[in-house]
Amino acid sequence: MNFRTTFSIILIFLGILVALLPEQDNHAGHLKPRTLANFIGNTDMFITVDQVARMVLDEDSTMLLIDVRTPEAYRNMNIPGSVNIPLQQILNPDYEGYLNQPNTKNIFYSNGDMFALEAWMLATRVGYVNNFVMGGGLNEWYQTIMLSEFSGDQISPKENATFELRYKARKFFNQMNSLPDSLKTGFLLAKKSKERELVGGCE
Amino acid sequence: MGSLIHIQKFLQLTIINLLVIRKPYMNPYMAGVILGVVLLAAMFLSGRGLGASGGLKYCVVSIVGAVDADHVAQSPYYSKYFEDSGKPLKNWLVFEILGMVVGGFISGALSGRLGFKVEKPAHVSNRRRLLFAFLGGILFVYGAQLARGCTSGAALSGMAVLSVAGFVTMIAIFGSAYLFAWFFRKNWI
Amino acid sequence: MGPILIHSDASTWINLLTGFLIGIGFGFALEQAGFSSSRKLAGMFYGYDTTVLKVFFTAAIVAMIGSQLLKFFGLIDMDLVFVNHYYPYAAITGGVIMGAGFVMGGFCPGTGISAFSIGKMDALVFLIGGFVGAFLFAETFPLIQKLYMAGYKGPVKLSESLGVSDGVFIFLVIIVALVMFWLAEKAEVKFKRPDITSEL
Repeated sequence: MNFRTTFSIILIFLGILVALLPEQDNHAGHLKPRTLANFIGNTDMFITVDQVARMVLDEDSTMLLIDVRTPEAYRNMNIPGSVNIPLQQILNPDYEGYLNQPNTKNIFYSNGDMFALEAWMLATRVGYVNNFVMGGGLNEWYQTIMLSEFSGDQISPKENATFELRYKARKFFNQMNSLPDSLKTGFLLAKKSKERELVGGCE
Repeated sequence: MGSLIHIQKFLQLTIINLLVIRKPYMNPYMAGVILGVVLLAAMFLSGRGLGASGGLKYCVVSIVGAVDADHVAQSPYYSKYFEDSGKPLKNWLVFEILGMVVGGFISGALSGRLGFKVEKPAHVSNRRRLLFAFLGGILFVYGAQLARGCTSGAALSGMAVLSVAGFVTMIAIFGSAYLFAWFFRKNWI
Repeated sequence: MGPILIHSDASTWINLLTGFLIGIGFGFALEQAGFSSSRKLAGMFYGYDTTVLKVFFTAAIVAMIGSQLLKFFGLIDMDLVFVNHYYPYAAITGGVIMGAGFVMGGFCPGTGISAFSIGKMDALVFLIGGFVGAFLFAETFPLIQKLYMAGYKGPVKLSESLGVSDGVFIFLVIIVALVMFWLAEKAEVKFKRPDITSEL
């Protein structure tokens, strides 16, 4: 048997072996279910609407607000500075640039808690870090920020400060939501950070 | 001290054997296996395949940058290689092609194939061979830039990761080479 | 879990050194195969020497099989290995131009570097032409930019396009390659040129 015949037989054998290997979902970075379960039990995933209001007013660049509702709901009204990634699109690679960053907090919100929590689960499962949920969602925002009232005589400095914050947030909210669409999108494009690029070929 | 003379003779013979006596080329399938292992190592260590034309490109970009910095700053093509005060030469491909020169030299030395010469059929003049080599070089690397890779970077490494681009590029190169071969046959056979 | 240097915090210089070492292996293998000879390479297109086909496909298949086995044992994450992005028009046009360049010059950049390293002057001239070609591309980029960027399809794999698993696809490639090896050996007999092959 000459070299080529031996070689061919070895290749066919290896080829059959490789063809029969099961497809693997071998993804580094994804959390195994047990790890995820432990993480859920031990982590503080909620952020209050007051904290969010503070961050919005400070133009805090260490956080990214993500509105997981439909584009129509988002266009109608949203928290200024948020980006819209509908829940079904959370794992779309086009949005990975927004979410897959070690240095900013991803804060998901929806009308209530449910969709935001689902987004949180998906993002955490695929290995994105620093994910949070705005507790109570837009409903809570509305109750607390938009409808809060100055009441009583004995107001502590802390309560005063809280009210000031809410009042400013309310104004900002109304202001931004009455802007035409074009100005809003400009504000948002600045948020997307450079994605990690794989290198190869001739580029 | 007879043994010393024996050792000296042995060393001389070994060196002559290695450097002077021309050895036949390795079995192509064997060489293919070695090349495949090298490619696999590149994938396992650096997450990429091999490449060659890219290395040439970085050299050119670097030279142009050194000669005419303004031109580079104004050109959208060149400037991206100098972003964040990047040095185009500080690149995996550039170091890889430097390694290739060393590796080829070692192989040639061990096989007795070193030597300056212009390789061509007897009936072709040096001038003609070198002219076509030059033109071929221009065309090939231009095409490699356009196709984002040459036979090593796009075709070989591309096929190894099963990319469509790899297979398409390879078929285009070999198909076109067969088509053009007839027109240039006088240069080779 | 590989690719090792993508995950690790090792300095850039380790990655560059790795490139250098891999390059040594690459250059060595190419020269051992005989790719430092333009006449041997050209033989592929005139039938008297099919080394190019044998080495090329063997290397690709070894890397394919190797990566699948490593992936199966969890030793490499293939999602982190670069897959060439598919720009159909640029790939085909560039490939056709490269084919012409190959037959005219008798080299490709990798084999040219390998031949240059053992002293072949035609390879040196080829590489100089190569620098000129790269320079030409850079300078005339706006003219070709549209073609260069057209029809982007992303890093698609052929196994995905055909709808088969990677392993099955590799098996098919192996079968095709073995048939081609057999045909190549036949061609070398039919188109043999002992006057040339004896000089290589």
